[in-house]
Formats: sequence, structure tokens, C-alpha cells
Amino acid sequence: MLQLTGGGFGALALRSLLGGDQLLASEASRNPLAPRPPHFAPKAKSVIFLFMYGGPSHVDLFDPKPGLIEWHGKPIPVWKPEDAFMGRKTANIAMQSYYRFAKHGAAGIDMAETFPNLARHADDLCVIRSIHAESNNHGPALFQMNTGFTQPGRPSMGSWVTYGLGSESENLPAFVVMLDHQGAPVNGAMNWSNGFMPAAFQGVPFRSAGEPIAYLTPPKNVTGSQQRARLDLLRQWNEEYAAANPAESSLAARISSYELAFRMQMSASECTDLAREPESVRKLYGLDKPVTQHFGRNCLLARRLVERGVRFVQVYSGGNDGPKAWDAHDDLKKNHDLHCAETDGPIAALLDDLKSRGMLDTTLVVWGGEFGRSPVAENGKGRDHHPKGFTMWMAGGGIKGGMIHGATDEFGYNAVENPVSVPDLHATILHQLGLEHERLTYRHTGRNYRLTDVSGEVVKALLA
Amino acid sequence: MKFPLRTFFAAPLFFAILHGADISPAQAEFFENKIRPLLAERCYECHSAEKKQKGNLLLDTKEGTLKGGDTGPAIVAGDPAKSLLIKAVKWADKDLQMPPKKQLSDAQIATLEEWIRKGAPDPRDGKREVTRIGKLFEQAKTHWAFQPLGKAGPPPVKDVAWVRNDVDRFILAGLEGKGIRPSAEADRRTLIRRVSFDLIGLPPSPEEVESFAKDPSPDAYERIVDRLLASPQYGERWGRHWLDLARYADSSGMHNDLDRPHAWRYRDYVICSFNDDKPYARFIAEQLAGDEVEGTNEDALVGTGFCRNGPSNDDNMGNNKEQYRLDELDDVISTTSSVFLGLTMGCARCHDHKYDPITSEDYYRLLAIFNGTEKLGVPKEPKGKEEVNVQALIETGAKVRPTFFLRRGSLQNRGPEVQPGAPAVLAPQPILFSAPAENAKSSGRRRTFAEWIGAPENALTWRVLANRIWQHHFGEGIVGTPSNFGFNGARPSHPELLDFLAGQLIASGGRMKPVHRLIVLSATYRQSSHGTESGRRLDPQNTLFSRMNIRRMEAEILRDSILSVSGKLNPQMGGAGIKPRIRADLLTASQRNKWPVLATEGPEQWRRSVYVYVKRQLLMPMMELFDAPVTTESAARRTESVVPTQALVLMNDEFVEDQAGFLAERAAEQGGDLPSVVGRIYALAMSRPPADARLQQALAFVQSRENGYAGEKVQPAQARHRALTDLAHVLFNSSEFIHIE
Repeated sequence: MLQLTGGGFGALALRSLLGGDQLLASEASRNPLAPRPPHFAPKAKSVIFLFMYGGPSHVDLFDPKPGLIEWHGKPIPVWKPEDAFMGRKTANIAMQSYYRFAKHGAAGIDMAETFPNLARHADDLCVIRSIHAESNNHGPALFQMNTGFTQPGRPSMGSWVTYGLGSESENLPAFVVMLDHQGAPVNGAMNWSNGFMPAAFQGVPFRSAGEPIAYLTPPKNVTGSQQRARLDLLRQWNEEYAAANPAESSLAARISSYELAFRMQMSASECTDLAREPESVRKLYGLDKPVTQHFGRNCLLARRLVERGVRFVQVYSGGNDGPKAWDAHDDLKKNHDLHCAETDGPIAALLDDLKSRGMLDTTLVVWGGEFGRSPVAENGKGRDHHPKGFTMWMAGGGIKGGMIHGATDEFGYNAVENPVSVPDLHATILHQLGLEHERLTYRHTGRNYRLTDVSGEVVKALLA
Repeated sequence: MKFPLRTFFAAPLFFAILHGADISPAQAEFFENKIRPLLAERCYECHSAEKKQKGNLLLDTKEGTLKGGDTGPAIVAGDPAKSLLIKAVKWADKDLQMPPKKQLSDAQIATLEEWIRKGAPDPRDGKREVTRIGKLFEQAKTHWAFQPLGKAGPPPVKDVAWVRNDVDRFILAGLEGKGIRPSAEADRRTLIRRVSFDLIGLPPSPEEVESFAKDPSPDAYERIVDRLLASPQYGERWGRHWLDLARYADSSGMHNDLDRPHAWRYRDYVICSFNDDKPYARFIAEQLAGDEVEGTNEDALVGTGFCRNGPSNDDNMGNNKEQYRLDELDDVISTTSSVFLGLTMGCARCHDHKYDPITSEDYYRLLAIFNGTEKLGVPKEPKGKEEVNVQALIETGAKVRPTFFLRRGSLQNRGPEVQPGAPAVLAPQPILFSAPAENAKSSGRRRTFAEWIGAPENALTWRVLANRIWQHHFGEGIVGTPSNFGFNGARPSHPELLDFLAGQLIASGGRMKPVHRLIVLSATYRQSSHGTESGRRLDPQNTLFSRMNIRRMEAEILRDSILSVSGKLNPQMGGAGIKPRIRADLLTASQRNKWPVLATEGPEQWRRSVYVYVKRQLLMPMMELFDAPVTTESAARRTESVVPTQALVLMNDEFVEDQAGFLAERAAEQGGDLPSVVGRIYALAMSRPPADARLQQALAFVQSRENGYAGEKVQPAQARHRALTDLAHVLFNSSEFIHIE
């Protein structure tokens, strides 16, 4: 009786796509989350974006600068006052790193001592030391990393990917977001907004405790049998109404949406039930330790979601603002000690787990924040925001492991060698999913929009 | 025209020489596909007749490319290694690195080398590129939306008996042309439900329905329409449509999502303006220039909130304050042009529009209009003590800061000073911005511009408005792209009708209620939604309006009608936004929201949804799931998505559960036997009594539920109440309830 094939968590039908320009009859009732073929054979099927909100310090974690030891306490020639965000508190005084670095893996990837577990995956990581972004301010920078544009209103990368590829999961959202236990980043839900696309492409927040999805369970006084009885009568009446109005395909879609909702109550709860995982796996992710349990839970959930066909998962480390995020203005060591300790084990576990299940090849893992941190000191012990050159890494999903790409100058200030812009990064991520970033367009207000707007080039050097 | 005179004299000679080298179609194709776009995209900005001529190098003609600039010929045909162009793009020489900001990719460089190696075949023979924008201006001369309003009267029709007013003649002529029969008139219960939701966004009471259904007088329907149009709830309904366009919200959206404690005054201003049937020209002027219009008062000032509703980042704007200011004005320019003129102008900030006859100069002329404004009543950091009661956009003096053309939208790339002006395609005769008096409080530029927009001669403004009104009455516009009347927008299905309605709006002094009345009294509007065989066969998408479209209620109307049916709707109008209950665990998604955690809701929360506080980072889940607009930009039409999460919220939200209980109580309070209570629940929800079969099904369901509860040892009265609640809950979830026929 279902007139629409493919089901899908997101939307079953759209009477009119928000774009408004898309008025083709054939568009009118298609399921926007039905799986769609990529532009070419993909390497990756899913993305897990580990978003280190607040801005992790590249010169303290992945991009060692011996020069800073030499320049420590002295002004550096590349610094510009307008680059500082906290103009009042930041002066041009270089600050050396608090951490010791060592080379890891056959490839000799430099990593700070704060990542003892991640270090064993050095040969899986493709460390990009030359990312540059456009804003030194959390809000716009988050928008850019998530949507390609520093202003709000554009769809986020997860929306673009699900728009391009649809979903492989029947009973789960296509694009899931998990927040840090400390709360949401600034911009809140606008970070995973569908922008001008239909709501079906919006990121769905998944909670690691309680109900995973909003309104998944009935109010306390409503029993399962009561709900089923209601739904049976509802189905009967809705079918009669659909039959009386055969031209309205959305009425049939509405009937199946209730069946799907009913099934989801089971499948979403099943997915988040981590007790189903063996003790060894739970331990691997650090669920038994207070410091790692929150982020570990979300990493394990990310794996379970991807395993069930979810296309794009974003996991935030750091919530709210200031010290609760990676935003180490005042005391970099204290801040990064904590956030590294929270994430190092779980991320290493995620890579182990994906690998042992044969999923790493088809899952692209991306690590990074909205910007890096300045090589000069702020308030004596902290560092200010810095977008002109910073580090992100990728692993799996057809990306070359055990390599370092690009470089910042001797201070870690400007990306000087093989600079990679945010649109370049986005183009590369889409490429691994089999999407050509210049072809993935969405029509809105009379023009075709792209995640990469008018720039972006796939960074071929990173591809395995 | 900066061509030196001799170029013109020399031209025929160049032609003669260059044309000797004919090129093959394959070579031309290579050039058109690979070379021309590359040169246009990466080189013309600095090396073309249209833009700049840096180093006296012009790469937009074959002649210029061969001749080269100050440093010599750009290419040596056949020899990439000797070609300056290749040296430059390879960044081989530190002093010659082109394009200077970002190097071409390896593939692009290789393409250029290949082209030169093959002898640089170049099909261009003109003196300069005929620009895309030039072609667009040419096309604009015949584009339907830019023409004066047509004066054609209603067309002749065959079936004159069907016609109720002139609207019907336009529609019927279209249908008859295709051999389609219009639908029969909807039955009275359907009609009163439809027109009530349409005009005031609330269902009629069962008493209203029954009295209308039995009223034999010929003007029964007219009286209903007039009552609804006079109701203050009309402003709440149609004001909400305007708030979508105005991207209205009660918080700033970015960073910490600062509250805008006075934004609601703009919302109330809109509702009042609709209820007062304020002339549209005045409505435009107050929103763009409330501080400059005659008889300025606080209300008019509040109207400028239109320019302030966009998302902002006042709590964390960063170092580049000027960039931030221009970004905010960009929102004002984009919104103003799309809402009032149906033009998309945002992209002209960086380059001439690619699809419409709108230049970058047009954009900066608009910027010059708004460039003198300041934000009054900017919320400071939350701890700030400043108490300002309006959120307005004002000027504080007659002297406006100069506006400069910014190439590619970049502050680092400043061009010549620009004077205020309307988009050239709409104003071939530039509108006159008279110099303000020495001691004037403002430049008067926005007022001049607003008056130009709202003038009766500006056909586009009135077409756009007429289309929006039609769209909300029928669920589909005459033009399917309501905020884009440009080349890429949809074409009107009934251009003469659109012009007729625009003319009616002008004739009524810009008042909308007469036009609503005309439309809802038409036979076209009164058609049933079931359609006719010929209509379904020949026009399945119903673009010719041979039936009424079935529509899903908007989010606000869904919540309002649940409250109305349960008897709990608190009709109080206006004032600060309300914050209904949101489950506590959902509040954690934004810790900046300060949304209260409520155990129960009461009358304070049970007000119409137009009054729900719009927190950009935390939209009410029920609103968001049922496609309430994302408020980052103007929303001209709403999606009607069908997603399982909608089913979840209607199945599981406590709001629906509570209100279902109240509906059960309300129906039972009036007494009577079970069939009459069940019938009353049904009539309240559906605006009609249940058919016999339906009543039997409902009764069987209630009795079976009641027996079930009795088996669980629930008290009889309680079992009855719970069973009736189950029925009410089913009705709230039913397709028939949430659709308007």
C-alpha cells in the first residue's frame, strides 16, 4: 500500500521543496532521503567528524615549532594585531609549547605527549598542517567549517552529503549530531541546520542518555497497548482519507510516517543501548572511566550509527564556551590536558574498532576545530584564536595514512606550504564520498548553490 | 568608453590580419570549454576592458592577448616556455605571480600550456567581450515582470453562469482553453472551515458551522467573510505570513543568541498594520524609513525593526567591525529586494548577477541608501543596564558616510564612490535623491527609495504583493517563485489575472482587505478540493486552479487549532513572547536559552503561536518539525514535509496528550449520552458531525478502550474520560484534522 519506496527516516514526501524554484512535477512527491547514486565510485560511505569545538592548538598538538622555544618571550615578525581576537589581552609575545613532541609510527608523525593512545594510529592519520579559515571568531568560524560560509543560513556539510547521497538507514536519521556533555557550541542548532534545504536534511541531535531522539516515547501515563490501539484506529481513518483524496500523495506518505515512527521507537533505542556491546568494547572506549565516559560513549555510538547506515555523524568535544571547550584563552595546559585526556582514548578506540570491523576503509574520520590557536601568549598562559594556519587530520575513507601535508611558517602562524582552505577540505571530503563538489548544487532563490561556493579544489595529494 | 580613439581606426586592419588564421570547430570548442572560462574567471577581473587593465594588459580579446601589456606579448603561439602568461601563472618569477592571490591549479596551468602549444587558437574576434550582463539587460526589455501593468480587462468566457466575479473570468478562460471543467462548489461546512483557517487561522465553532450550513440567505457567506476580515485574529493570521518574509525572531541567533527583548513590538506592529489594513505604500515606508516618514511616531519607528530582524552577532562581532557592519547591511539589502521587489540581489555584492540584469553597481547604490543607518537599542552584553524600548534602524544626521564600490565585495578592494539609486533595470530614469536640509535629522534616502518602491507606477511591487496574497489563499502562487520574479523565477500561470489583482490593489489605495474579499468570494475559491475528471487528467498539478488545493496546516495553525478545539485557547493579544513547555532534556541543546522548565502549562502558555518566542537556537520542536521557517533569511513559502518525527511529536508530546484530555472533558461537560459526547468531540475537531459509519467506529473504539481500562480496575468515570481522550488524541493526529480542504 505504500506508494513511496525507500522509506527513510527523513522525509517521506515534500509537497513543495523549500527551494521554491523546484517545481518540477516529478520532484513533488519524491522522498528526498532515498539513496541516490554518487557521481563516481566512492571510497567512503560515511563520515564521522570529530569536532574539537573551541579551537585546539596546533602548535601544542600536531605542529611542533622548535622556533618558538627560541622566540619565547619575544615578539615575532609575522604577528598582526588585527589577527588577534581578544585584542585587549593579546600582545605579540611568542610562547613555546607546554608539551613534548615525539615522532610516531613508521611515518614519524609528530604528536604531543597528550595523545598516548592516538599515537599508535600515527600510520592511519593524514595530518594536514596547512588549513586556513576566514574568521578568528567562534560563531562565523563554526559556520564556515560546518557550512562553508561565515554567515548563517547555508546548509551544513551533513545536509549536503545527505542531499547528495540520501540515506542507507531506514529507521535512523541520515545526519546525526552528538554534543559534548557540557552543552552545545555557540550558534547552537544552527551549526547543523539544513539552511535553505528542506528540513529533512537537518542534523538530528542524538542524546547519549535518556531518550536518544526527541519525543521517542509516549508520556508516562500512556501504555504501549493504548498507543497501539490509537494507531490502529488512526491508520484506518487516515487510509480512508487518503483513498478519498487520491491526488494527494502526501496522505499516503503520512500513513507510512506513523508506521516508521512506531518502528523507530524500537530501532533508535536498540541503537543507543550500549549494554549490548561486550564489556571489552565498552572498556576500550573508556566507558568505565569518568574522564573518558562521555566522549567515549559518543564515539561508540558513532560507530553503531555508521554501522546501521547513518551517513554523516558529527561528534562534538567541548561544549558551552571558555574552558568547557578547547577555547584555551587563560590556561592552555590545564585546558588541553583535560580535553586531550577526554578524547585521546576514545578516538584511538574508535579507530581500532572501525579497523577491526573492516569499516575504516569506508568511513572517513575527520578531526579538527573551527580554527587553531595563536603562537603568541594571551594572559601569560593561554593562547588566542588563530585561523591563518592550523592542523586537522583525516583517517580512513580512502585517505592516505601516515602522512603530513602542508606546513605553517617557523612560528606556526601562516599556512605557507600547500595551503588547504576550508572549501578545499570540503571538496576533498565530498570527493571521498563520490561527490564532485562542483556538481553538487542546490537551486535556491534563482541560483545554484554549492557547499564550496565558488572555490575549493580536491587535495589530490591526500588520496590513497 | 576608455578606448583610445586610434583603436577604432585601427580596428579594420586588425580584423584583416587576424581573421586570416581560421580555426577548426574542435579548436573553437577547446577554447570555449577550457580557455575562455578560465581567463574569464581568473584573469578578466584585472585584465579586461570591462574591469581593470592592469599593466595595460587585456586578455579579453585575441588582439590584446597577442599584443600583451607593458612587459611584452602575453603568449608566443606554439611555445609555452617562452610565453609570459605561463611564467606568470607558474609563479616562477617572484615579481610576476599571477593571479596574485591564489595560484591556478596544476591542471589549469597544464591546460593553458596545451593551448599555447597548439598555437593558441582563439575564436574571439571582437574588440571586447560582449558581457553577459549586457545581454541580460537586453533581455530585460521584454521580461514580463518588468513591463508596465497590462490593462486588458477580464477575458470572455463561455460558462458565464459559473462566474461570480472578475477573478473567475480569468481562471475560467484558462480552463476552457484547455477543455477543463471547474469543480463544483464545496459544501458549506468545508467552505466555512476553509475560509476561517484562511482568514483568521482558527476553526469555526460547531455552532457557527451549523448556523451557516442552514442559513438560506444569499449573502450568508459574504457575512462570514466580512466578519472574519474584521476580526482582530485576521492580523494574527496574515501578520504571520509577513513575519516569515521579515525573518522575524526574538533573538540574535549567532554566538550566544542574545535575547532581543523588544523585538515583539515589531511583531505587534505587523499584526496591527494588517488589522488596520494599512496602505501598503505606508507599510513599506515605515519598515524601511520609519524614522524619516511624515508623522513619525514610535509605531513607525518600530516598523524599521524589519531592517533589524536578521541574525546578528553583536555580542561577539570580532575585530573587523566594518566588515561586520556591511554583512548586516547585506542582510537588509537582500531582504528588502526580495520581499518588496521579488529580486535576488545578494549575489551582486561580489559580482554582477549571473542570471538577472542586476549589476554590482546596483548593489552598492542600494548600500548607499542604507549606509547612514545606525542600530538604535542594540542589546548590549546581558549585564548592560541600557533600557531602550524599541529596536529600530535610524539615522542621526543628514550627512551620510560615503559609499564605495567594493570589488568582489572586499573591503581591501575599494573602487569609486557610489551614489544612492534604485536598480537600473527598474529605474531607467534615475530616481532623484534630493539633498537634505542642513539641519535635517537624516538623509531622507530611505524614504525616497521606499516611496519609489511603493509608487503605483512600480508594477513589480504590486505584482509581487498580489502574488503573495493569492499564494496564501490557494497554497500556490500565480508565480511559483514568490520572491524571485527574475529570469530564473517561474513564469506566471495567469499573467493577466496577476496584473488585474495588482491593479485592484493600487485602486484600493494599497489596502489588502478588498482584494482578499474579491478572491474569497470568487467561484474559483469556493471550489471543492475533489476536482473534476478533466482537471485531474489535463492538469494534475492544478496550475490552472480547477479545484482548491488541499493543504497541510502550518505549524502555528496546527497548535492553535488544537488549543481552540480543546477550549483552552487564550485569545490575549500582543506583548512579550510566550515560552510554552519544552521537554527539559531538549533544553540542553542550547544552554543559552533560559527557557523555563515547566511541569505543566496553563493559560499563559495557551496563547496563539504567533506569540511564541522565536529563539533562533532553540525553535519550539513542534514548530520546527512542522516546517516553521528558518529565520536566517526571508521565507517566501513554507515546505510541507512529511517526516516521521512529526508523527513522533504528535503521538508523544505531552501538549497533545493534555489537550486531548481537555477536549474529552469539554465534550463531556455538556452531558448527554455517549453518542452525543463522541459526536461533539468529532464536530469540534472536524467542523462537521461524523457520518453514521464514522460515529459507529468511534463509538466502538471508545467502548473497547473503556472496557480495557475497566479491566485494569480504573474507576468508571476515569475509564470513560481516558477512552474519550484516546479518541480525541486520534483525531488530533488524523490527516483530516491537519489538512484544510
